[in-house]
Amino acid sequence: MRASAGGGASLFRAFSIGSTWLWLGAFALLPTLALLLVSLLDRGETDFFIPVLTVKNYQELFSPVFLTVLWDSVRLAILSTLVCLLIGYPFAYRIARASAKWRPWLLLLVIIPFWTNSLIRTYALILIIGAQGMLNKALLGLGLIAAPLEMMYTDFAVFIGLSYTLLPFMVLPLYASIEKLDTRLLDAAKDLGAGSLRSFWHITLPLTLPGIVAGCMLVFLPSLGMFYVPEILGGAKNLLLGTFIKNQFLVANNWPLGAAASSVMTILLVIMAALYRLSSLRVAGRDHKGLLSGGPEELNGRSPRRPSGAGPSMPQAARKAGGL
Amino acid sequence: MKHSRVATFALGLVLVFALAGTCLAAQKDKGQVVVYNWSEYIPQDVLDDFTKETGIKVVYSTFESNEAMYAKVKLLRGKSYDLVVPSGYFVDLLRRDKLIQKIDKSRLSNAMHLDPKLMNLEFDPDNTYSIPYMWGVLGLAYNSKYVPKGSLTRWEQLLKPEYKGKLILTDDLRDAFGLALRAKGHSVNSKDPAQIKEGFDFLTRLKNSVRVFDVTAIKQALISEEVWIGPIWNGDYLVAREENENLEYIFPEEGAIPWVDSFTIPVGAENVDNAYAFINYMLRPEIAVRCIKEYKYSSPNLKAVEMLPAEMQNNPILVPGPKELKNAEFITGIGEALDLYEKYWEQVKTAQ
Repeated sequence: MRASAGGGASLFRAFSIGSTWLWLGAFALLPTLALLLVSLLDRGETDFFIPVLTVKNYQELFSPVFLTVLWDSVRLAILSTLVCLLIGYPFAYRIARASAKWRPWLLLLVIIPFWTNSLIRTYALILIIGAQGMLNKALLGLGLIAAPLEMMYTDFAVFIGLSYTLLPFMVLPLYASIEKLDTRLLDAAKDLGAGSLRSFWHITLPLTLPGIVAGCMLVFLPSLGMFYVPEILGGAKNLLLGTFIKNQFLVANNWPLGAAASSVMTILLVIMAALYRLSSLRVAGRDHKGLLSGGPEELNGRSPRRPSGAGPSMPQAARKAGGL
Repeated sequence: MKHSRVATFALGLVLVFALAGTCLAAQKDKGQVVVYNWSEYIPQDVLDDFTKETGIKVVYSTFESNEAMYAKVKLLRGKSYDLVVPSGYFVDLLRRDKLIQKIDKSRLSNAMHLDPKLMNLEFDPDNTYSIPYMWGVLGLAYNSKYVPKGSLTRWEQLLKPEYKGKLILTDDLRDAFGLALRAKGHSVNSKDPAQIKEGFDFLTRLKNSVRVFDVTAIKQALISEEVWIGPIWNGDYLVAREENENLEYIFPEEGAIPWVDSFTIPVGAENVDNAYAFINYMLRPEIAVRCIKEYKYSSPNLKAVEMLPAEMQNNPILVPGPKELKNAEFITGIGEALDLYEKYWEQVKTAQ
């Protein structure tokens, strides 16, 4: 009996692991490697690329045009990530602290927009913020403005579009980490005399850092690639990374250059994923040590100061917050 | 007892459907035709009627730009589609890449209705590879509520300071350079680096006035009055005019930019006979009339134009004449020079 059950389980294990690897290999690893390969090939006359190895595509990326494109895209992505974080954190905090009866419903409301294609939702925003959109009509009707506000085709519209589309990606990981937060630590901090701001800064923020980093990554990376939102709502006045890549493949027929630009984006992604892993390892490691022995490293003074961005361990946090 | 009755009923239902299915399949044994066309270009009921009439199923997919179409046909090496509808010089590109096949005009009895003026153009001499479907012009639309009627007659006037922030510009680099080169008095197909540079300077200055770059939603921005002025295809303008009566249209004096979209058959087409049947059906005057009425583009089908109601026939925007087409010049392939256009275009788009 046991043997057969074990056999079944191991078969299931082999199958599930095997299918995961197969899926990732066929649909993630292979295309990425193919892209990397094409980025190192030369451009052909009649073919999209010819099998001649070269690094000139990467050299071409050092042109002022591409650097502007990259900078504009990164700047836009950073700003929309910040907007999402500023809105998403209090948002997730409220949900996580809501009563158990309400929580699933509030979460459902965050997820529902996912059921509609984001392109359609982006177009729908035009109906709201357009010159003859609902918002302008309402403001005009109330007599608050004399002429329609120009909201469409501005940076404002782009931030609205990006943060609206990507907010759930920020809220969900934040919610997960805020919900896990041990409220006894906050009580302890309060007992020790910490104000709410202080306990937020020394306890809540450091302990929800993995959620913040995960949320920021989940927002930052798609907003780098979501070229249609700035195109539709922003009027496509700047060339962004996604559009640049699309143009290389479709308009200029320069696949190797497009592949090189795309690889740069992939490398950015890998660096950020590594940073995320590093930060979550730090938090996890700290929790472990901190809970078991009260944070020996802090006590024996080996590392009295932590690098910025990484917070103190849990009991340590409560003590610090309490002013000890 | 009850259960078995339900089961019998269900079984009967299945049989009926199976039978109907085989009947339909027998009727539809004519196969299919796979069409790859611009979006919003053939009314659905026209496609349905084709299937009703011939039994040939139409598998229809669309594209938004010639470049996207070209990349896909090239990637598939001319397989998968039976019919593709490229514009002007893309016919030439596809022909050079040996991706489309010669067309036997003797198999198209309705080709005799076609306007000789729109045949035998530079991109395909003698129409060896392509049969025109629709044509049109890139001219200028403006909103007479904000821009006095008659005050705008030339591409070059787009630079006027009062239009700052009120302009929509096409995001298609050949069209954008086309109008810039025309404004500077050069050919839309210039390969002269000095002239291209002049076009680039024009566009860089023009960018300060541009509120939006777009290709497919130009009419929406004009209808909603987000912008006052924009270059737009005549058909799109006529559709937009129905939604906003303040919109006016001009053929700029320096020359509007015409285009022709044509049916072509890729080399790898699997249903060549059906493709011919489809082209011939679309060339039928009554069918062409239905397409014109729906999308308001100009038709190369002389017979169809004659059959239009008088007010449509006499509308110079729908049926541009020699006066409207004065100085008009088709966009053609420019070979290597395209790299320079592309480089300048990126600079225009990244300029602050």
